Amino acid sequence: MAYSEKVIDHYENPRNVGSFDKNDPSVATGMVGAPACGDVMKLQLKIDDQGIIEDAKFKTYGCGSAIASSSLVTEWVKGKSIDEASEIKNTAIAEELALPPVKIHCSILAEDAIKAAIEDYKAKN
Amino acid sequence: MNYFQLFGLEAEFTLDLAELSATYQALQKTVHPDRFAHSSAQQQLLAVQKSAEINDAFQTLKQPISRGEYLLKLRNTDLPAEQETLGDVGFLMEQMELREMLADIEHASDVDAALFAAQETIDVQSQHLWQQLQEKLLVDDQAHNLSAGELLRKLKFYLKLQVELDRIEDSLFD
Repeated sequence: MAYSEKVIDHYENPRNVGSFDKNDPSVATGMVGAPACGDVMKLQLKIDDQGIIEDAKFKTYGCGSAIASSSLVTEWVKGKSIDEASEIKNTAIAEELALPPVKIHCSILAEDAIKAAIEDYKAKN
Repeated sequence: MNYFQLFGLEAEFTLDLAELSATYQALQKTVHPDRFAHSSAQQQLLAVQKSAEINDAFQTLKQPISRGEYLLKLRNTDLPAEQETLGDVGFLMEQMELREMLADIEHASDVDAALFAAQETIDVQSQHLWQQLQEKLLVDDQAHNLSAGELLRKLKFYLKLQVELDRIEDSLFD
């Protein structure tokens, strides 16, 4: 199966790889996993006191599509409010990266990672 | 007839793999095309279909994860869809650490020892989950079946870890 150019670009030059201190109160951490393929994704959002996402980082162990989906999401959420970020849908991620049907679950994982991070933020604040 | 019945087994998670394999060979012999060389086209077709069913049953029962899932299906347990995300943070943190451990193997000063330690960690942790699964599946009620389903989902991550570890081992010794 051929990866799209966008997937390859994110895979070869992943944006915003890394971690923030998860004990920092402005940092929200979303951890999700996909049993179908054993992929694990950690998405962290740094959120200011206005509820705007200042920065994002990710760490993903998985296939190229899972890495590309999380990398793309870190770019998309920056500058958005948490409400706007929570509206990002997996279909938009899959479309942007031209994911084939067998890789749709990678985009679902990325969407769920955003939701998990926002839940973590709400639980903290 | 369900897959367990087809193999003359009780619908239980624990089974004897050697026995399963022997029954499989015996069953396939009964539907072998040679035995139906002089039969009607209808009977030949039935034998082929039966052979395919025996094969599906064997593949399902042979692997413990698919066997567990099949058993839960027979018990009418609604399991999360394959694509549904797992959100157990503690478990995922551990998985992240295990993945990091695997990624560090190639930089270890003693690669053999690092591979060995990684294998041991995966074995011990997954064995613990298999044990829990076995215990949960002994009782057929909703609470036990749902926990068994969750354990099966977690065990898939260990299968992936094993694939990764094998891949790393191959790449290091190529």
